[in-house]
Amino acid sequence: MATLREKLKSALGSGDNSAKIRRRRAMTASLWRNLSVLRVALLVTGYVWMLALPSSQLGQGTYIDENALQPGQVNTYWSWADVRRADDYLKDLELLRDRNASSEERAAYFATEFAKLGIPPSTQKYALRSSTLASEGTNAYAVFSSPRASGAEAVVISASWLSHTDGFNLRGLATVLSLSAFLKQYSHWSKDIIFILSDGYLDGMHAWLSAYHGSSQSNMQVEPLELTSGVIWTALNIDYPGHSFSHLGVFREGLNGRLPNQDLINSFRLISHHTGGVPVLLYDHHDPSDFPGRQDILKIFPAWTPKRVTDNKDVMEYGYRAKNILRHVGYQARGRASGVHGLLHQFRIDAITLFAVPSNGPHGFHALGRTVESTLRTMNNLLERLHASFFFYIMATPGTFLKIGTYLPSAVLVAVALMFGGLGEWVNAGWVEVLDQDAGATDKQSAALIHAKRWVQRSRDVIPALGIVISTHVAGAALFSVVSSSWFMANQQTYTFPVILLASLLPLLTLLLPSSGDPTSQAPLPILLKSATLCLSSTLISVTSVLNFSLAALLAVALGVPVSLAAPAHSMITRLLRYLLYAALGLGWLALGQEMRQAVWHWEVLGVWFAPLVCVVYTPMMLQAGIVCLLSP
Amino acid sequence: MAFELAFAVLLRLVLVLSPLRRLLKDDSQLSSPLTSYSRLREGIYLFREGINPYSGGTFRHSPLFLALFSTVIPDSEAFAAILWACVDVLGAWALVRIWRARGRVGTSKRDSLIAALYLLNPYIFLPSLSLSTSTFDTTLQLVSLMFAAQGQASASLLTLAFTAHLSLPSLLLLPPTVLLLLADPYSHLASPRPFNGKISKGLPLFAEFSAYFCSLVLASTVVSDGSGWIINSWGAGLLLPDLTPNPGLWWYFFTEMFDHFRPFFLMIFSVHLVIYVAPLCIKFQHDPLYAAFLLLGVLGIFKPYPTLSDPGLFLSLISLFPETYPHLRYPIVTTLLHLHAFLLLPLFHHLWIATGTGNANFFYASTLVFGIANGGALLDCVWAGLRVAMGEEREGYVIVQE
Repeated sequence: MATLREKLKSALGSGDNSAKIRRRRAMTASLWRNLSVLRVALLVTGYVWMLALPSSQLGQGTYIDENALQPGQVNTYWSWADVRRADDYLKDLELLRDRNASSEERAAYFATEFAKLGIPPSTQKYALRSSTLASEGTNAYAVFSSPRASGAEAVVISASWLSHTDGFNLRGLATVLSLSAFLKQYSHWSKDIIFILSDGYLDGMHAWLSAYHGSSQSNMQVEPLELTSGVIWTALNIDYPGHSFSHLGVFREGLNGRLPNQDLINSFRLISHHTGGVPVLLYDHHDPSDFPGRQDILKIFPAWTPKRVTDNKDVMEYGYRAKNILRHVGYQARGRASGVHGLLHQFRIDAITLFAVPSNGPHGFHALGRTVESTLRTMNNLLERLHASFFFYIMATPGTFLKIGTYLPSAVLVAVALMFGGLGEWVNAGWVEVLDQDAGATDKQSAALIHAKRWVQRSRDVIPALGIVISTHVAGAALFSVVSSSWFMANQQTYTFPVILLASLLPLLTLLLPSSGDPTSQAPLPILLKSATLCLSSTLISVTSVLNFSLAALLAVALGVPVSLAAPAHSMITRLLRYLLYAALGLGWLALGQEMRQAVWHWEVLGVWFAPLVCVVYTPMMLQAGIVCLLSP
Repeated sequence: MAFELAFAVLLRLVLVLSPLRRLLKDDSQLSSPLTSYSRLREGIYLFREGINPYSGGTFRHSPLFLALFSTVIPDSEAFAAILWACVDVLGAWALVRIWRARGRVGTSKRDSLIAALYLLNPYIFLPSLSLSTSTFDTTLQLVSLMFAAQGQASASLLTLAFTAHLSLPSLLLLPPTVLLLLADPYSHLASPRPFNGKISKGLPLFAEFSAYFCSLVLASTVVSDGSGWIINSWGAGLLLPDLTPNPGLWWYFFTEMFDHFRPFFLMIFSVHLVIYVAPLCIKFQHDPLYAAFLLLGVLGIFKPYPTLSDPGLFLSLISLFPETYPHLRYPIVTTLLHLHAFLLLPLFHHLWIATGTGNANFFYASTLVFGIANGGALLDCVWAGLRVAMGEEREGYVIVQE
């Protein structure tokens, strides 16, 4: 028994503590020695991974996950008579447009038409104001109660007055009107169908949804809805601005980066292919492989790229996917809705916009009607909300997507690199290598060599560093309240420069801080501040990555390298120049006037977090990195 | 001191009047089914209407709350907000008194820091804003420790009886409290020694506690007209009837459990809490206050229905033991873990409940991060508390944990 115990002890190595300690020390030492290499490796891997996302090696084919959906399994009954009806509505709508009819008139027209069909209609007036612009209008809507069900659930078909291109969405509205007449003929609906013809672009639908879900906000007056129905599960928004269309484009991004369940997109794609006979695109991006010899439709490579490169099949594929992903990141990172459907996501409604990509043909109301009818039948099959397929994905092409596991690590690796940097700086702050003065004076030369340098622990006073961190964020909040105020927006061009100047001068106050004292006993402030900034930015990126990957990737790109590189210098000029660079990075966006107005409008009206996030989180972090450079080492 | 207190109270009142309170009121991280203010009001309403509030599954508060809120304290939310803020201030005051008793000092420069660390700790602050009754548990716990540190046995035991009555797991604090009453609250971490008080003197203290506790039980039974409250309030902690998500580690485990294993694992989980008491009290017999502090950390992690204020109490108590700070091994890692957990908890809860894109596993993952953060803090405090005794590290020697 005793021998067995001995054996076990030696096998586990617990008998020899010193070996264990040596091993652990060697491990720590090698980690510490290679820390900068590790950080660079992690950063590079993260960024390369991001660049590799459009690669055709990543990604997999889409599939239907929810068995109840059964897309494209029904006969459709949408006929040329319904197309004719849509044409009639279109004529009326064109008249309304041509005589510049007011919102009320239009809504009254819609309501009358719904009433003629025997579907209870109603209208809703709303007024919105924000510091950038005010809008008002009237929505029209009608609720078709399902003949055989309780009305506890509903689906929405909507079209807005304006298209996301700069035109009017007349054909979209005509389609919805004609569909309402058509759908009413059938009794197989298990869910109420709500037809919404919203005014404006996003504002009308926002007002309608707020009233429907009972959420209110101080800058919006909405009439309460006279008609209601059950819980809305899914929604289709139709955007058909042109005369005819060649493809149907899917827009999916919602407010604050929320995406609809992928099953909805996949079902629609299958149905459009097989029932409507219309190929599906992401957004309005044509696939260059469908247009041999006309790769220039991709418009993503700069003009000077040699033709030999752009004509390469793999490069073309990469470019096509990169274009799709970049468009997605553009919407998702800024929290913008890519269409009217995006407003519904916040109420847990899975919704997409069908965009009829304008073209000279060959499709029109007939194909669109059949596709929508069959898609509605698929949505009608649902017994519970869409939940089976993916909520976190990136579509690379209409038929391929990236799972969360293939894209998330890229941003997380950058975050890990920053975290290692922060922890490394924290250790740096705690220890300093000093020359041992009296070691050489005593006796042996060898001993003097060994003891010439030794590590001394010094105290880390985190209060000043945290004070700077908190005050920059408070300053960021103040900056946000300034730039989102109506007086700033009214005179944006006059005020922009003074605000940038003031905001970038404020951090110079830190120069007045007393020097941190003896570096052998007290950790220098810049190191502590850099540690805090690195840790905080890492936390920000990794936490955001689950909520909104595009935003996390954007932050990883915007913060990763600059914050890692921040370092104090000895000459005052270098310090100031470095600081100015960081201030420009942190505050430069203020000069993007139109973009900023949009972001502020989205925050004030739709509650998109992007604008406050930039002001209260991103800019202060850049300024902290700038202060790291500014402070004397 | 007065200034900081005034500032904290003012800040609290401003926040209480802001719309933040409405947002936080039914937040599952801040108030559990056992401490939710909405449920308390529901119970009071039923009680006033002459319906036994314990006959359903919504009301799980102690009958003492019922008695208090239906008679003495007006049933108004605005008043409650002010009351909760005052209770928090009382907790901060008790914490400062403990510090003074431990350091044998009158007023000191550290007082305001300790009070601020308590009053501005978001884990304490937010549950109090959401009017979670866990604020009362926390404060009573601190007051009990304060009396124990000052050597006032009866007051301490009575407060502890109240605490244990409101939140049954606090019963585990009885042994260290008794030890604290028999010994002194001063810091002996640096010089461990065998317990020098007379254990036999503890028996009357146990008896006294039992007397208080039994009279509270009796009072509760009289108030609520029957013993139905026992199964509904105390029983909830042992039988876990309500699986509303909370930041603790119990709920998810028991949502996944097959019914026939339930009693077994309920017993395991409850007994598991008890096994920490004796080892901690024995190992830290030279400093029972530290043992009590560590036990509060254990409760913060493994309690059946925790809210953020349970780990918050533990974290705020760290301010009492500055002598251990140099020996903490990874305070920055623990801090960052807490930062991550603090952000991930509401985020994943939102993804699951509000947007519907996530599911229960998301929130569970964030509670695991939270558990790791709390566990890391606790283990580090255990290490530091023992390490203090070994003094400065000498050249060529290493201290390891076997």
